[in-house]
Amino acid sequence: MVFLTLSCWIRSRGPDRYWKVQDVLKHARHFRGRKNRCYSLAVRAVRRAFVYATTGRRLKKRNMRTLWITRIAAASREHGMKYPALMHNLTKTSVQLNRRVICDLAVTEPRSFLSLAKLARARQQEGFRAALGDGKEPAGVFSRVVLLQ
Amino acid sequence: MTARGTASRFLSSVLQNGVGRYVCQLKRVSIIFSKNAQSSLGVREFIEEGVVDYAKKNPATVVYVSPQSCRIPKIVAEYLNGNVREELVTSKTSPQISELLTKLTNQSGLDIIRIRKPFHTDNPSIQGQWHPFTNRAPSIGPIRPQNQDAE
Repeated sequence: MVFLTLSCWIRSRGPDRYWKVQDVLKHARHFRGRKNRCYSLAVRAVRRAFVYATTGRRLKKRNMRTLWITRIAAASREHGMKYPALMHNLTKTSVQLNRRVICDLAVTEPRSFLSLAKLARARQQEGFRAALGDGKEPAGVFSRVVLLQ
Repeated sequence: MTARGTASRFLSSVLQNGVGRYVCQLKRVSIIFSKNAQSSLGVREFIEEGVVDYAKKNPATVVYVSPQSCRIPKIVAEYLNGNVREELVTSKTSPQISELLTKLTNQSGLDIIRIRKPFHTDNPSIQGQWHPFTNRAPSIGPIRPQNQDAE
């Protein structure tokens, strides 16, 4: 037989469309509606989900920090101090605790947080005395910064 | 790749392992290799030198050595909590395989997925967790809005 053109018209497609589709759908299984079943809708939804995940990773750091700051501010106001005063005086007494740790202390160890607030208050008073009294009085205990080598 | 779309767990040990005695969580190691293929050369060297020492050092782990006609040599590790971990060792040298085995020995069998927090405590609060009356006696009375004096 010499009729060869018919067999040339048959196309063979790629063998692994099923697995490529499943790779995308597996990330969409917990979505709502047809996005979790139909490939065309799922592709768009999965791409948006990944974009949100990427931006969310950067936002999470910011949000966690503002949460810590809010909690520390609330806890310090219970003890009669404000957040900026507390943090500034803690850094001046070289207490190098970050906001996450101070927030955890405020939640789970309230008495330790009280002692931190008292320390910051004492340093604040010394700062005021040094600024207003000017000179004749001896420097306070907490203003002496110890440099450990 | 999303947090909700992928599995995650909290940091934990299997049944507080290590608090009292430490129990090696690796139950069984099966080394599947071929006697003649090139990819299993490192495995065969390891079996000549290192396997017996490894088995003597870890008496709690059973080591099975099974030569089969296979293309890819594998190490199948089974843990006490039932998880099975397969590692391909094609064209690995003998010291690399012993490193891999020490890594598998030191693992607990828990899933290798995202760990939500790198710490875990059963007793997070020593001084007592904060509640609204920690720093305020209830005799003071409830918090009222400040405009009451004007009213």
